[in-house]
Amino acid sequence: MTLCEVNKLSKSYPSFRLDGVSFKVSSGEIVGFIGKNGAGKSTTLKSMLGFVKPDSGGASFFGKPFIGNETEIKQRVGYVAGGVDYYQKSKLGTLIDTTKRFYPNWDAEACRRCLERFELDIRKTPSELSAGMKVKLALTLALSHRAELLILDEPTSGLDPVSRDELLDIFLSLRDEGKGILFSTHIIADLERCADRIIYIRRGRIIADSLLGDFERGWRIVRYSERPDISGLIGERRERDGFSALVRADARLGGLSNEPASLEEIMLHIERGDQDEGSAL
Amino acid sequence: MKALLYKELRLAMHPAALMFIALSAMLLIPNYPYYVICFYSSLGLFFICLSGRENHDIFYSLTLPVPKTSAVTARMLTAVLLQIAQLCAAIPFAILHAKLGIGGNLVGIDANTAFFGSSLIMLGIFNFVFFTSYYKAPEKVGKAFLLGSAAEAIYMCAAETAVHAIPFARDMLDTPDPENLTCKLILLAVGALLYSALTAAAHRRAAVSFSKKDI
Repeated sequence: MTLCEVNKLSKSYPSFRLDGVSFKVSSGEIVGFIGKNGAGKSTTLKSMLGFVKPDSGGASFFGKPFIGNETEIKQRVGYVAGGVDYYQKSKLGTLIDTTKRFYPNWDAEACRRCLERFELDIRKTPSELSAGMKVKLALTLALSHRAELLILDEPTSGLDPVSRDELLDIFLSLRDEGKGILFSTHIIADLERCADRIIYIRRGRIIADSLLGDFERGWRIVRYSERPDISGLIGERRERDGFSALVRADARLGGLSNEPASLEEIMLHIERGDQDEGSAL
Repeated sequence: MKALLYKELRLAMHPAALMFIALSAMLLIPNYPYYVICFYSSLGLFFICLSGRENHDIFYSLTLPVPKTSAVTARMLTAVLLQIAQLCAAIPFAILHAKLGIGGNLVGIDANTAFFGSSLIMLGIFNFVFFTSYYKAPEKVGKAFLLGSAAEAIYMCAAETAVHAIPFARDMLDTPDPENLTCKLILLAVGALLYSALTAAAHRRAAVSFSKKDI
């Protein structure tokens, strides 16, 4: 079931343009939304949820356009932009008590379970929590109103490896419960562990939207000490013993040794490539 | 809206804004520009918006399942509640002022019915100037307050000058209650109407600005 559909979302700023972004997120899948800093990930997510007013296009959730159904849609969507960074000096209990009044379907039992699982003390304030615990608090608020779709904007940035790993476990459990997760990040290792599909945004445009395995299988890495006479090399990188570049899996390599490309390698080479290479994807 | 108002009172309310209500007691000070008590309610509102900015209140509000413009409505309702509370708290002190025989006000208008009507006009002007500016750029709350308080100061100077310079204001409005009560009650009604109209106009403009604002 399609939980959310973004259709030709565009937004112009003096130095940046989000250009006709379209994609879908279905239930029971984790979608990694990748791109380097400033590629347009946060702008896309914010435009979907009305924080930013798009110039054209928009998002629909559960088959309904966001505009005109904002309240109903937000009841069913959990948005986590990093950790809780509002009302840092208010007690967690106060924040939870205030937030729950907005949700008729607030699940006090689910909230209690999350607090227990995440070891959050309601007598503390957000300012007393670590970055990881702030993310867990944001997740607690999102999960306690039975959100069917979670939109997470770089939730693992700034977390230590153990906390990140723990969060990814949680995301996988949520996916097993049938929830959809759209998860923006520039930490590729996180996606390799849990994403079913990736959407890659570069300079405000979606340049790839496919299953993670399919995406990785579409590329190869070639390594060489002298630049070979073949076309289609993308984003040549200097390495200890020569160079590496990305090529399409179906490229004619003329006997040049090659190996599978990881998501991180694909992204690094594409980002290193010039604009034409990027837009040709 | 009930939940948003609860959020305003529980999380966004600045303690100073509540304490300033007690400054309605300044009506007991002899020979004093009593409009200053209204300035304190504006200052309290500024503190709420300023601490809201530091606490990312707008971001939090927009994550909640409410229309974007409801955040404007809730904040403006909070302002109205504070302003009405300030004036309501001032009523017993105005009565006490008369009972104690403190006498007329040599500086400006007496603490009488006309003063309350005129104060409502001043607060309506503040709301109009402050909120239309604030919701164009909530991060520049200082600029909005500067404009709003400047408008208040201009009105205050004009109103206080009027009770010295304009015979009607001096002889009919700047008198102890219940003298010329009809005139004063008319001013109170006009004040209430203007306050409502200016605040409603501010809300309309602020909501339009804010709905276009990228957060």
